Amino acid sequence: MTLKAHNLVKIYSNTGVPVHAVRGIDLEVDDGEFVAIMGPSGSGKSTLIHMLGGLDVRTSGEIWLDGKRVDSLTESAWAVLRRRKIGFVFQGFNLVANMTVADNVELPALLAGVSPREARERREFLLERLTLTDRATASPGRLSGGEQQRVALARALANQPSLLLADEPTGNLDSRNTRDVLRLLGEVHRDGQTIVMVTHDARVAALADRVISLLDGEIIDDGRIPRRRSATGTAGEVIDLR
Amino acid sequence: MSVVRAGGRFIRSDLRARPAQALLTVLSVAGIVAALLTGATLLEEGTNPWRSLFAQTDGAHIWIHTTDPPDVARLRELDGVVRSAGPYRSAPVTVVQDGKKAPAALRALPAALPEVAHPVVREGAWLSSAQPDGVVVEQSFARALGLRLGAPLTVNTLGGARRVLYVRGVADSAEQGFYPEWTPGLAWVLPGTLDQVEPKHGLSEWVTGLRLADADATQVISQRAVVRLSRLERVYTWREVRAAMELDNRLLGTLLALFGVAGLVAAALALANAAGGRVLGQLRDLATLKSLGFTRHQIAALLVVEHGALGLLGIGLGLSAGWAACVWVLGATSAAPLPVLAIAVGAALVVLAAVGLPAWRGGRTPPIPAAPGAPPRGHLSRLARLALLVRLPPALVLGTRDAFTRPVPAFLTAFGLAVPMMMITIGLGVWSTLDNFLKHPEQVGQSAGLIVKKGKLTPAETELLLRQNPDIRKVYQGSTVNALAPGEARSVRVRAIGTSLDPYPYPVAEGRGYTQPGEAVAGQGLLDLLGIRIGDRVRLTVGGTPLIVRVVGRVVEPELDGQVLSVGLDTLEAKDTVPPAFYALDLRPGADPAEVAPRLLAASGEALDVQRVINPAERLGVIRMIIVGLIVVLALIALANLLTAIALGLRDHASDLAVLKAMGLTPRQVTATLVTATGLLVILGVLAGTAAGALVVTWLIDLQGHTSGVGAGIGRPPAVPAVVAAVLTAVGAALAVALIPARRAARASVPAAGTRLTG
Repeated sequence: MTLKAHNLVKIYSNTGVPVHAVRGIDLEVDDGEFVAIMGPSGSGKSTLIHMLGGLDVRTSGEIWLDGKRVDSLTESAWAVLRRRKIGFVFQGFNLVANMTVADNVELPALLAGVSPREARERREFLLERLTLTDRATASPGRLSGGEQQRVALARALANQPSLLLADEPTGNLDSRNTRDVLRLLGEVHRDGQTIVMVTHDARVAALADRVISLLDGEIIDDGRIPRRRSATGTAGEVIDLR
Repeated sequence: MSVVRAGGRFIRSDLRARPAQALLTVLSVAGIVAALLTGATLLEEGTNPWRSLFAQTDGAHIWIHTTDPPDVARLRELDGVVRSAGPYRSAPVTVVQDGKKAPAALRALPAALPEVAHPVVREGAWLSSAQPDGVVVEQSFARALGLRLGAPLTVNTLGGARRVLYVRGVADSAEQGFYPEWTPGLAWVLPGTLDQVEPKHGLSEWVTGLRLADADATQVISQRAVVRLSRLERVYTWREVRAAMELDNRLLGTLLALFGVAGLVAAALALANAAGGRVLGQLRDLATLKSLGFTRHQIAALLVVEHGALGLLGIGLGLSAGWAACVWVLGATSAAPLPVLAIAVGAALVVLAAVGLPAWRGGRTPPIPAAPGAPPRGHLSRLARLALLVRLPPALVLGTRDAFTRPVPAFLTAFGLAVPMMMITIGLGVWSTLDNFLKHPEQVGQSAGLIVKKGKLTPAETELLLRQNPDIRKVYQGSTVNALAPGEARSVRVRAIGTSLDPYPYPVAEGRGYTQPGEAVAGQGLLDLLGIRIGDRVRLTVGGTPLIVRVVGRVVEPELDGQVLSVGLDTLEAKDTVPPAFYALDLRPGADPAEVAPRLLAASGEALDVQRVINPAERLGVIRMIIVGLIVVLALIALANLLTAIALGLRDHASDLAVLKAMGLTPRQVTATLVTATGLLVILGVLAGTAAGALVVTWLIDLQGHTSGVGAGIGRPPAVPAVVAAVLTAVGAALAVALIPARRAARASVPAAGTRLTG
């Protein structure tokens, strides 16, 4: 999945005074890439990721997904696209309160047209991988924050999306749970999952291949994070750090 | 398919999470539907009892009276005739009871009840050979004569013989209409008894009933039967019987339709409120669903299905419950299928419409789940600040503000309470109108409490007798004649009563009363029938002589659908008025017609025929039952509405509670804030509804009076104490209901405001 945005602009004018949340962003995410978007509060990073997933409508600019222009899609067409290709993780987890963990995870798969049996198998696989098998029948309200975010991650992956969008996935979590969730994100990334993640936490962003910094709706920095080579530290590695 | 599966999961989980709320929705819809169905059927039963009587007695469709016993076998050969009853011998007799003489038919039925057209015993028992002097009397006849079980019944035969029988039972029959609308009255005896009472067969007739496979074939078959019979006296069918049993049900019908429509509106509001409240509470989940790939239309459809299903389930339950209640009360097959269908379809449409709006709103939720579902917040209005400044209790001020944070639900709540309250006020108005009918019969054209027909006495003797009675304030002589109306193939009733100088005290609603010969007053029905207005001249023909009168006023006329023209006796020719056919007695205030009548009878040596004037309200008693029933259902609906409003209010203000407590409000003040928020809307709704109901009720009843021919001018506003009591009860009950959850919420340890995000 390749994702491209060209001169993306979002202006809110709800209150009468136009607010420029995103001012002409150009962005390209390659297949299998893990991109972190960083920036202080109000820098437009959530607005950007919402636009990339079709949750919010752009004011101007273009969005291309897998070579197809999608910014002009209707709300319903975006919904169908999300069903098939996009998974979302939110800061507030956003599990459907009345549904059990199992139902929450199976829902996107069912919606993508998978048979109930396959949806169940996929859910069992995901929950086992996220060590949540024993919580399948629980209601989300009875889970800890970390558990809820793991369920939310399982749900986002249930329809095997080409693109995973995560909006501050660790924003509500303590450090231990943050570590767990990040480990999981790293794992799915290693499996080839394209991920775009918004965060304001540098330690979290460090997990990504590439970090884009936003300020006042504009990209001020876009840099790749070199992968640390494992094990033995050599002099060459020190130089490699630049 | 994929959406159906995913949506199905959501709906199932959602319903499982709130069974009580779902149940209340189902029950309130079921309640109104059941009440509508029962009301419609009871009304049908009350105004047209034929259907259930026919079903209970396995009645016959055609009744044939012949001079000789007919050849029943030949009649049964007729295509379409299933079974037959009789022939039974029937002798005309005169029943003498308390000085009154009533024509009756004494019919010989066997001790074993026949299969077809068997009377249904309501009191006592059926005839038995052990009691050969026993008689079973048809219920309406027994009531008219004041007969009780065991009472002696004196019958005079045509031949002049007198015989005393004893009432063993009172029974219902669908064989003929009710007494006194249908004469002669009906009584059953054993064949042996009849032979003793009336040994001469030449003086009796034979009655045969035919039950048909298809009621619609009655006309054809009755004609064929007539051809096959000789010495036929009379043939009539179930249609005549049904028509005779029918009451003028237009007032009832209009009332029920009104209550029904209002009930449905109230139910729709309750449902819309419940669904709307639920949608508001679910906005986050709905947004999440959209972020997962549900489209706007799919979300709306999901909500329609979920809430609509509850409504439809309620309709189904209500129909079954209503049907069961009708069958239980009235017996099987008594519920008419057409109203049932109309109620089901109407209710289903209302349910879908009521659910549609909140569903559409839910579908429009933006797909960003982070968007808060919290109410719009503003700052305190100037009024509120001023109120706090002058040290009004903060709970009152904050509660008032809370009440209107969401204008649409606030309006729905108030309106949802106003509609039932308006209907309750209208119901009370109808009640007081009925009371007024009873208390002031002179206002509905029934100044005279008793009507005396001269009987065996001469006019002079009668008048002397009446003048001597201290309970009688005034006597009006009267006559009624039938007059042919121009261009109408039917006659109208002309009632001559009083004289132009001393007119009968009609309640004149428009124009004035008649004051000289040649002037007349008419009921609304007559004005409509002839297409005339007050001031017009009318030319009628009475017994061949033309009668030209000028209509000078409209009176409230409860008889004959208002199609009565009233004039002074001096307007008619003497041949039509001398001697007077009846005397209308205006009784002294406080005199009870039921006591005066027997005294008059006794004074005249039972020579006079004294009749009590039947007040229209006495026949409309079923309305009161309907009013009470509907008030209960409307109260239930209002309660459902209220609970939704409270739940929504608590949800909206859950996070505020912590803030309020942090600001230093005591739990009691928090409770007061919450109760004020709900209570204000309740008071607004109740007062608005009462005012609207009081404004509309007299107009409505007068409109109904106009269309039914009685004429406008009968409507009365509800009694003030009753309205005040209703308002206080409604507000009090609502506050009591609001208090419980408010106290619980105020006492609970409130989590920090942020928890809503993780909920």
